[in-house]
Amino acid sequence: MTAAAVPPSIERAHAVMRRGRAISALALLGIAGVYVMALGYTPIEAHQGLAQKIFYVHVPAAWCALLAFSLVGIVSVLYLWLQDPRLDRFAASSAEVGLAFASVMLTTGPIWAKPIWGTWWTWDARLTLTLFLFFLFVGYLALRSAVHDRHERARFSAVVGIMGMLLVPFVHLSVYLFRTLHPQPIVLKPSAPSLPWEMLRTLLVSTLMFTLLYVGLVTLRYGIGLAADAKEDHDAA
Amino acid sequence: MPPEPPVNGGYTIAAYVVAGAILLSYFLSLVRRSEK
Amino acid sequence: MREAIRLALVVAGKDVRAELRSKTALLSATVFGALVLVIFNFARDPTALSSTDLAPSALWVTFAFAAMIAMNRAFAVEREHGALDGLLLAPVPRGALFAGKMLANLAFVAVVEAVALPLFVLFFNLDLSRALGGIVGTAILATIGFVAVGTVFGAMAVRTRFAELLLPVLLLPFMVPPLVGAVQVTSRLLADRPLSEMLGWLRILAAYDVVFVTVAALVFSSVVDE
Repeated sequence: MTAAAVPPSIERAHAVMRRGRAISALALLGIAGVYVMALGYTPIEAHQGLAQKIFYVHVPAAWCALLAFSLVGIVSVLYLWLQDPRLDRFAASSAEVGLAFASVMLTTGPIWAKPIWGTWWTWDARLTLTLFLFFLFVGYLALRSAVHDRHERARFSAVVGIMGMLLVPFVHLSVYLFRTLHPQPIVLKPSAPSLPWEMLRTLLVSTLMFTLLYVGLVTLRYGIGLAADAKEDHDAA
Repeated sequence: MPPEPPVNGGYTIAAYVVAGAILLSYFLSLVRRSEK
Repeated sequence: MREAIRLALVVAGKDVRAELRSKTALLSATVFGALVLVIFNFARDPTALSSTDLAPSALWVTFAFAAMIAMNRAFAVEREHGALDGLLLAPVPRGALFAGKMLANLAFVAVVEAVALPLFVLFFNLDLSRALGGIVGTAILATIGFVAVGTVFGAMAVRTRFAELLLPVLLLPFMVPPLVGAVQVTSRLLADRPLSEMLGWLRILAAYDVVFVTVAALVFSSVVDE
């Protein structure tokens, strides 16, 4: 088993956590700014009204959840190949943060769907995929909390991460096939094919801030994992 | 006179509050864990 | 290659014999399956929801949950007897080990499905004269997929304390595509629809099987080896 370059140290963990806290705080302030920007400085969509503005939170959260999930999958493959504990630590962090973003998607999605489509839930591609990501994250984290040996936990998590990544295309296919047979009456298109510049600008800024928050939270969570591993090594010595 | 957009700002506020609450509380829980 | 097949059958045979002796998994799964069917049938309003509309979903939900119980118990029995450790120490190639475990699980689930299907016909008053072959074929196709994933996850879950809870939490998302496909095909079979309407779903089922049986076989060694 190849070891990591340097054994985990408490000092490095604290440095990582500090950096994570700073980046996250900055990103949260940025998102607060996005709220102001979306509510005060972005035009109201004519057909959907104010509710369309949920889009500026829902879509970036979706992007981050998907990013988090994809990274867990890719890193899981790398872990089984390279056995580097840093990869496992990153995967655990990305999964937890991904769960937070998936929760945002699952709550803002129905809140947006109700005024726009008239129904809280619909088995459309994005909501269905979100639900699956949510359950896959939950299962991944549940497994991790149930396995106490670090190496076994890393191996098992990697297996679930890989299989989860492979499941996504099948969910997509099933939804697609289902929808072509049962087309949903679309009352209003949730996002116009070409977005006016003021709306696109807000969306891009929001996506940037959300991605920054992802980076900050994963860094912070990584530091926490690093500290836990360092403590465990220290206690064992 | 173009049709008025529907009055549904309440949903927007609710969504913004819920999203912010989830992200903020997760961040704070991580901060608490990091200080232990 | 022939040696690997022989080993797989030996592994499968061990599990099946152990289960026949204790009978816990099969019994609980079968009883569970019957109960679910009764509830589904009893609890619906026959004027609002015809049996042909409800039947495919009811059947597959029954299969899914009963299969999960069967797989869970199968691994638990093996853990209780410490059988897996002995197998791992012997030079059994991991691919053969996986194949053996999967075959044993398939056998268990097949028994549960074989018991549930006649009950299903009975309670829902169905005419399977034309659809039977198709339903059996679909059952095989869908079952292979989720049993492959369940074999890997079961091997993981059995090492944890809350195995009975963890296996469903892990496995259920993976059962959805095969279940959705199976329900879609079954409902079309019962309605005597042409094959062309089912091909898309059958292709998804087949692709799922190919992908997940392959990947499950590949990652199994990561689960059972240090």
